[in-house]
Amino acid sequence: MPEPIIAFDAVTYTYAGTDEPALHEISFEIQPGEYVAILGLNGAGKTTLGLCVNGVIPTMLGGELEGTVTVGGLDVSEYPVREMSKLVGVVFDNPEFQMSQMSVAEEVALGLENAGVPYEEMKRIIPDTLELVGLAGFEERSPLGLSGGQQQRLAIAAVLAMKPQILIMDEPTSNLDPIGKQEVFDMAARLNSERGMTVIVIEHEVEVMARYADRVIVLDGGRVIMNGTPQEIFSRVEELAALKLRVPEAAELATILRTEYGDWDGPVPITTEPAVAAVNDLLGATRD
Amino acid sequence: MSMQAALPVAMIPGNSIIHRINPIAKLVWVVGYVVLAFSTQNIVVLYSMALFALLLAPIAGITKPLLKGALILVPVGSSLLALQIIAPAVERPWTPVGEIGPLTLYGDGIYYGFVLLGRIVASLLLALVMVMTTHPSDLFTSLSKLKVPYTLNFMLAMTLQLIPVFQREVGIIMSAQKSRGMKGKGFSAVLPSFVPVFVGAIERVQQLSISLESRGFGSNGIKTSYRQVRGRPSDWVIGIVGALALGGLSAYSIWRGTWNISSDIVFSPLFVVVTFVISATLFFGVVLFAVFLSLKK
Ligand SMILES: Nc1ncnc2c1ncn2[C@@H]1O[C@H](COP(=O)(O)OP(=O)(O)OP(=O)(O)O)[C@@H](O)[C@H]1O
Ligand SMILES: [Mg+2]
Repeated sequence: MPEPIIAFDAVTYTYAGTDEPALHEISFEIQPGEYVAILGLNGAGKTTLGLCVNGVIPTMLGGELEGTVTVGGLDVSEYPVREMSKLVGVVFDNPEFQMSQMSVAEEVALGLENAGVPYEEMKRIIPDTLELVGLAGFEERSPLGLSGGQQQRLAIAAVLAMKPQILIMDEPTSNLDPIGKQEVFDMAARLNSERGMTVIVIEHEVEVMARYADRVIVLDGGRVIMNGTPQEIFSRVEELAALKLRVPEAAELATILRTEYGDWDGPVPITTEPAVAAVNDLLGATRD
Repeated sequence: MSMQAALPVAMIPGNSIIHRINPIAKLVWVVGYVVLAFSTQNIVVLYSMALFALLLAPIAGITKPLLKGALILVPVGSSLLALQIIAPAVERPWTPVGEIGPLTLYGDGIYYGFVLLGRIVASLLLALVMVMTTHPSDLFTSLSKLKVPYTLNFMLAMTLQLIPVFQREVGIIMSAQKSRGMKGKGFSAVLPSFVPVFVGAIERVQQLSISLESRGFGSNGIKTSYRQVRGRPSDWVIGIVGALALGGLSAYSIWRGTWNISSDIVFSPLFVVVTFVISATLFFGVVLFAVFLSLKK
């Protein structure tokens, strides 16, 4: 087993000025190159967990952190966020809130400028990165004049230019239309499969996560209550429903059919294609 | 929303000679203007400066926006002049030149009034020309070359950048409130919409600071710059000529003890009365117009 790129060891975190911890005794590990989905209701602590990975917690936000968060072998509480930024890129739900520059190229350049990357290299990296997120040729446009999906991909480009090993996206598509959502998820999947980037997505779109993620972590009330493959997690339909969490429709359908028609062999389908196959089998069986 | 509208209100994109001058050279002129304007009381100098700034506008193709921006001078300038005529900022005794209703008009303060006005007009016009013809990032880059602290510099650039964002946010929130049945005109409608804008601003600033920090903002190492601002020989000439001419005139003014030429100019009583009537009318016109706008539902 390779060295985990992210390790939470008994992490309990309480925001400054509050009494209740937002995270309780969290422990898990993420391997390099994994695509991890984090699920949970509002207030479950998903964003808080994400901010621990790049060290905004505790370095910028203070509060009380117990246990250790180790990222790329570094204890995050000992390094400033700008150091961690070489390892971890973070994108939030509202892309417009992350824009500060007059042009797309300058937005991407910002992190490079701060890292002291020479001009000639920037000239090369910026178009490459924009190409990667599907914004080639947008260099001189104003970030504020882009569509939501384009803005979010620009926000991602702005962190990708710094070549982090880990990309964290906190509800990256909650302000986007279906096309915009698709663009962002496709890109994240490409970065994960083609570049081996470790991707952590905080998301409510369970269908998408069932398709792309290698692993699902479910948070509830600041605790990790499930941690496993999408297949394992999304098969637990009743448990998820009891937590008021959404379940992929395929899994829900399969569970209903199962109670109606008795058991069948094989795992509960969690994406559309296996669900269709399972239903076909079932129809074939009843037709006979 | 067009790209232009999304850019800071101030910058008017273009490629005129004025646009292409190095931001630092322009800054030298603006600083020089302010220094000279406040070290001299010579109205010929002051209004020549204003005229010169005004003449740059057609060259840069910014006449209309410049004049629009300069409209702010109407209430400021007219109240200033009217006040100097009814309550001069010079030592008594004052010589009355006429009466309008309960007000006694004096000619003693009018020269000083024109000096104050000239200072504001000259400095503001040139500053507007500069802001309207300079890409904020270029100014930002140039300032950082001058070793202006990065954070301070960045705050300046951010402020410029946030103006259009807030404008748009006020627009969105106002139309949201209108759709809930609130009247969408006048100050009474604008005020409540600032509350959500303000709340939104705090959230925005917090997210932005996390996002910036996550991109290495604030690191102490060497920084590079993506925008390359050139300093051509012509920029050096413009900057040096500006520094010498404006600095020289400032020094001369100070040597002459503000270079006040009021004793050479006689304002006739009629001129004073007419100036007062025009200023007062303009001023109350503006006030009434604002009140009218805010009451109109
Ligand atoms: N800056 C803060 N100061 C104090 N408490 C906070 C702060 N941010 C979040 N919390 C609290 O911590 C808990 C977890 O919040 P967090 O934002 O991590 O949840 P989340 O799972 O991301 O929710 P959502 O789906 O709404 O984004 C909540 O109870 C929240 O009220
Ligand atoms: Mg959140």
